Amino acid sequence: MSELTQSQFESSDDELPEEIAFDASKSAALKSVKDALESAKREKNILKERRRKRQQLFQEQKSRKRLPEDLLEEFDTEPQKPAELSDNVEDEEETNATSETNSKSLPDSYSVKRVKDESAAKSLQQTAIDFIQSRLYGPGTKRTSNVELLSLKKKKGADQGASVEFANKKYGADLKKKITKANKRFIHKQKMVPS
Amino acid sequence: MGEFKVHRVRFFDYMPSAIRALAFNQPNETMAVARMDGAVEIFLVSDKFFQGKIIPGRDQCGIEGLTWVGERLFSAGLNGQITEYDLKNQRVKYTIDAYGGPIWAITGNQQGTHLAVGCEDGTVKLFAVNEDKIQFERNLDRQKGRIVSLSWHPSGSKIAAGMIDMIQIFNVETGQSIHRMLTDRGTSRSKECMVWCVVYLSDGTIISGDSGGMVKMWNDHTGTLIKSHNVSTCDVLALSVSRNEDSIVAGTSEGFVVQFQFISLVLEKNDKEWVRTRTFRNHTHDVRAVAEITTAVVSGGMDTQLVVRPLLDKIEVNSSASALQKIIFPHRSLVSCARKAGLMLFQYPGHLELWRLGESEGQGIPGSSLLVKTNPEKLLHLKVKGEDHIRCSAVSPCGEWIAYSTASSLGLYRLHCDNNNISITKISKIPKVLSSAKLCFSSDSSHLFSASTQSSVHVVSLSQSGCKLVGTLKPKSGSHQAIHLLAASEDGKWLASANSDHEVHVYNLQKKELHCTVPIYSSAVSAMAIHPETNCLFMMHADQRMFEFSIEQKQYSDWSRSVQRNGLHYIWLERDTPCLNVMFNPQNPSHVILHDTYMFCIIDKSLPLPDVKTQFLNQLTLKSLPKEKRKSESHAFKVCKTFREMLHVELMSDQSLVVVERPLVDISTQLPAPIKQKKFAT
Repeated sequence: MSELTQSQFESSDDELPEEIAFDASKSAALKSVKDALESAKREKNILKERRRKRQQLFQEQKSRKRLPEDLLEEFDTEPQKPAELSDNVEDEEETNATSETNSKSLPDSYSVKRVKDESAAKSLQQTAIDFIQSRLYGPGTKRTSNVELLSLKKKKGADQGASVEFANKKYGADLKKKITKANKRFIHKQKMVPS
Repeated sequence: MGEFKVHRVRFFDYMPSAIRALAFNQPNETMAVARMDGAVEIFLVSDKFFQGKIIPGRDQCGIEGLTWVGERLFSAGLNGQITEYDLKNQRVKYTIDAYGGPIWAITGNQQGTHLAVGCEDGTVKLFAVNEDKIQFERNLDRQKGRIVSLSWHPSGSKIAAGMIDMIQIFNVETGQSIHRMLTDRGTSRSKECMVWCVVYLSDGTIISGDSGGMVKMWNDHTGTLIKSHNVSTCDVLALSVSRNEDSIVAGTSEGFVVQFQFISLVLEKNDKEWVRTRTFRNHTHDVRAVAEITTAVVSGGMDTQLVVRPLLDKIEVNSSASALQKIIFPHRSLVSCARKAGLMLFQYPGHLELWRLGESEGQGIPGSSLLVKTNPEKLLHLKVKGEDHIRCSAVSPCGEWIAYSTASSLGLYRLHCDNNNISITKISKIPKVLSSAKLCFSSDSSHLFSASTQSSVHVVSLSQSGCKLVGTLKPKSGSHQAIHLLAASEDGKWLASANSDHEVHVYNLQKKELHCTVPIYSSAVSAMAIHPETNCLFMMHADQRMFEFSIEQKQYSDWSRSVQRNGLHYIWLERDTPCLNVMFNPQNPSHVILHDTYMFCIIDKSLPLPDVKTQFLNQLTLKSLPKEKRKSESHAFKVCKTFREMLHVELMSDQSLVVVERPLVDISTQLPAPIKQKKFAT
């Protein structure tokens, strides 16, 4: 270790600084710049390739989704006919407004609804009802089910009994059906054939 | 006595509607109850809470508030309309659109001059109450949030409005907001605090119940909070103040009702404050409405039961008036039976169902159940057009005619029933006998009696070709209240009608005129029927007393006079549900069969009446006695309590009894979800 440090010191203290030719350093600098440029280019190319491939993939998927060519051709011809008719009508009448309304499209936030189908009052009422429902029964409220309430009463009451789902024939009917179906499926699945 | 084959019917899926609002009218002592399906019911407080009037609702109604202005009843709902009710004829008088969006609260001032409604758009609208209609006067200052609850100051000069996260006090004269009091959100910072109910006291204290479960007392002079009580973990949905402002009751989402009283903490010192005193746990689901009447606290909510809890410090005598009363079923019959054909008609709000009873085989000992050979089958499901709910319905005794009435129309159908084929034809040309309050067929199914406005009865004759209005029976004078009960005699000569003013008229059908009027009794008639042989009108009243009036002699019968002299047993008088149906047994003319929600009873007029000391419910003891002793020990009232909550009992012509039961458990399982209550060891 001491030799190394000595040589370092020796090299830094005793010797003259090395002479480096201007050309060499210039070429080194230029080379580094070129390398940087080239790596940037390469990266760009890689991204380009990736994008091209993705675009191709999408095109293929789109073409798969599209209807067969002949149907598309049919559609192409159709709109021209009513457009021709409307043109004729416009020539006969002298109002210009219709042509403009035919070709205009609504901005995105607008939608078309019949007055019959939805009146403002009903929708306001519905939002109010939904609001009350969400405040009283929605998330954040600690609600349980009627079955639990009744079953708890039964368990703690004077004459204790089983839960309402089992004791009450009417209530538990669909639950029991589900359970028997599930049991049958399980038996069938396990291939347990009763002997 | 009698052995009967009993058909226990449980396929009537009757679902009562939840209670949304209560309003007490002090002068009349009537309680108005608004239900979620839009129906408004009027209960007579002094007559054991008998349901005097029912105004049926309609679809998409959404009632939110109910208020009395003098003797007029107004309601407002989420459909944005204010409705006034015509209580005489039991229907809607008119509706007015408030043009403010859904209405959340309605209240009238104590002077009876104005109505205030709180709307979705943040305005409090004032309406002037005129003689015949209400008229929009002006808006108070519009606010940014929706107005959820309103309360007038007793002087009428200020209104407190509960909104989202705040309470505003408005000066009615100028319309400007005086104070804005912010409620804090409590533990849930993200959920807004809804002030569900406010009450304005005359000394300037405002009491509010909000969705954080807090009841807060505010001072309106400074606009600050005086005291805040944490009543429950869930919302406080309803508040009501007593008449002399010393007691407040609050209803919560968890189902209990809390009372606050304005008392001093130390005896003989004058510093009074609001102290939480009692808790009433009578409900299982949310309590949406409370009202405090002079001697009791009335509460109702999502479990559809109206609970009347008497306040024991206001009652002097410990009588049946001090017992808890729960009103679960309506005091009108929803089932009508075709006695000769073995068919039953069930009335639902939006449709009718016709069922044929099943059959059983074999005999059995009393108390056993027989095997069902043929199951009961549903013959007809008749949907009603339009949005109005059915008011009343009836099926003729032979089973060939079905009639129903809504608020706007009357429907009459003819039913053809071969063994397997059923066809129904609608009678289209009905005379303009619109909206009857009660329908009744004559015993031979030849006439339909329809009770209409002004206590009159229309007589419509039915035949193969159709129906024709034959006459109108009118009382000579007296009240114009609507009729709620009709009874036709077996021989087709007499018709009795009972109206809401406790008047009972008997008409002679052959001469088509009034025959006589029964002396007015203070309690309403809950059921009546005419005996097939003696033609005596048997009436059961809401206070459990019974009268028998002989139509031909135009006076009370001897048996009825002996019942009055003897008095009725206290157990009979303490029953809290009214009798809804009275029938007679053709094989035993001295028997009268009655039922109420929890029992059915056969009264044998030939046996002696019980006095106070005898054991009233003595059926079981009689069974254990030897035969000789039974005769001496038995008395006229034979009560049977084996069946669950009964909606209807009828004796069919083949001597079998039909009992339509609706166990409360079946109703409870279909109610909306209750709040989870943490109980120890669960």
